[in-house]
Amino acid sequence: MSVVTNFRPRKTGGAAGAPVAGSRLLVDQIGKSFLGPDGGAISAIGSVSLDVAPGEFLAIVGPSGCGKSTLLQVIAGLMMPSSGKVRLGEQDVTGEPAHMVYLFQQYSKSLLPWMTVANNVMFAFNHRLKLSNAAAKSRCRDYLAMVGLADFGNHYPWQLSGGMQQRVAIARALAAEPQVLLMDEPFSSVDALTRLDLHSLILDLWGQKRFTAVLVTHDVDEAIFLADRVAVLTHRPATISEVIETKLPRPRHSIETRESPEFLALRHRLLKYLLARNQDGAHA
Amino acid sequence: MPSGRDRATAVVLGIALPLAGLVALEIASRNGWANPTFLPPPTAILATFWGIIASGSFIGPLAQTLLLLFTGYGIGCVAAIVLGILMGSSRPVFNLFEPLTELLRPLPKPALLPALILFLGLGARMEITIVALGCFFPVLINTIQGVRAVEPTMINTARTFGHGTMAIWRRILLPASAPYILAGMRISLGLGLILVVTAEMIAGSGGLGDSILSAQRTFLVKESYAWLVVLALLGLLLTWLFTWVERRLAFWNAPQAQ
Repeated sequence: MSVVTNFRPRKTGGAAGAPVAGSRLLVDQIGKSFLGPDGGAISAIGSVSLDVAPGEFLAIVGPSGCGKSTLLQVIAGLMMPSSGKVRLGEQDVTGEPAHMVYLFQQYSKSLLPWMTVANNVMFAFNHRLKLSNAAAKSRCRDYLAMVGLADFGNHYPWQLSGGMQQRVAIARALAAEPQVLLMDEPFSSVDALTRLDLHSLILDLWGQKRFTAVLVTHDVDEAIFLADRVAVLTHRPATISEVIETKLPRPRHSIETRESPEFLALRHRLLKYLLARNQDGAHA
Repeated sequence: MPSGRDRATAVVLGIALPLAGLVALEIASRNGWANPTFLPPPTAILATFWGIIASGSFIGPLAQTLLLLFTGYGIGCVAAIVLGILMGSSRPVFNLFEPLTELLRPLPKPALLPALILFLGLGARMEITIVALGCFFPVLINTIQGVRAVEPTMINTARTFGHGTMAIWRRILLPASAPYILAGMRISLGLGLILVVTAEMIAGSGGLGDSILSAQRTFLVKESYAWLVVLALLGLLLTWLFTWVERRLAFWNAPQAQ
């Protein structure tokens, strides 16, 4: 079975959302190198520092292969940095922290095919909360309803379209009620219309839940549309070359926001910057 | 999907060859072209087979063989899955066990029977041990491969939600490698049947293998063949049963799920 999601432009992301709770995310001079095939160290991340306020939406853009995903995995505690440290509030991140969730690019590999959609969502929280069956199911249903899939709990992920699968992955990530949602190009493996739809969805949910969002992407439009600030990464070894505040008003609209002069000016500036950097990289 | 008509044709074709063979044997045996002492007519074997079934005398040997088979099979498979997950997920554990398993794996398992008889005697313990040893290796090899083929994204998914090592074993590694493990268990089931019958023939303490050999030794040739029919049907039944179980345990690996 394959179901295509309906595309509809809509208002997204309330400026006056729920009150912001949570902790500041500090990335303090993170560096990461790997052992190369010849035994030497290959530096993936030079030195990256970020300061993300609670409830902020930060996007990190950079050319492909610049170490964006590596940076995000280090922040998530899925990988240890070679130098520097990550702090969430008062605590150093040394393993997978309870308050951060990583949303993977490849939803088809992240959703577990032997579990129903509902069990996939439960996988995010019930080992911690140990709710009764009815309470867990009701919580699953709430989160699935938020992504428009309330009636799909008993399906298996592979019975759904790509866009729907990524919605399930989003519902699952939010069901863990993280303070920080780390998103690794989560919209890059769906078609263009579904992507716009998911952008609106994530802004809606962010407006409702007010988690801190860190998005890694190579799509400049996506970064500007979603984020409060956009950090630009250089080629390997990655460092942050610039941080731009978008200052676009919220709520943002699928079509109008993307056509506004402010949006286009930001897009122009960022693309010019990235393309120039890209050529430097090519000559280096 | 094949239509009902296609399927009917397939069944007819599939039955035609064995049936023709049986008719040829029947004619050859009845006309004395083949020695009827060594090769009784299939209809006579069938009558003897029916006698074994109707009298219920098949139940004892069958039950004994099945008990030994499943005990050995169960022990071998569980041990192989546990060691396989360890070897598949840890390089040091793999390096520790790999030379040993590679030495023992290609060894034809019936060659171990003389040594096992020395230690364990001619009874059930020896028979279960040889079945367990034989079933162990195909499951081990497949489990290692299956665990290595698990998507790192799946493991990272479990980690980001704060699942511990045991939960990752039970809820990710085991189900994700289930299609590989089950493929190994299918091979092992066939091997296990071979080994239990071989061991029973040597031990001579009951079971289908013992029944086949004892009948032949006492010149009850028809009985010997009739027991062979029981064994063939058992093999067929086990294959069907396994396919049924496999479809239910690894349902998500079916083509429509990819």
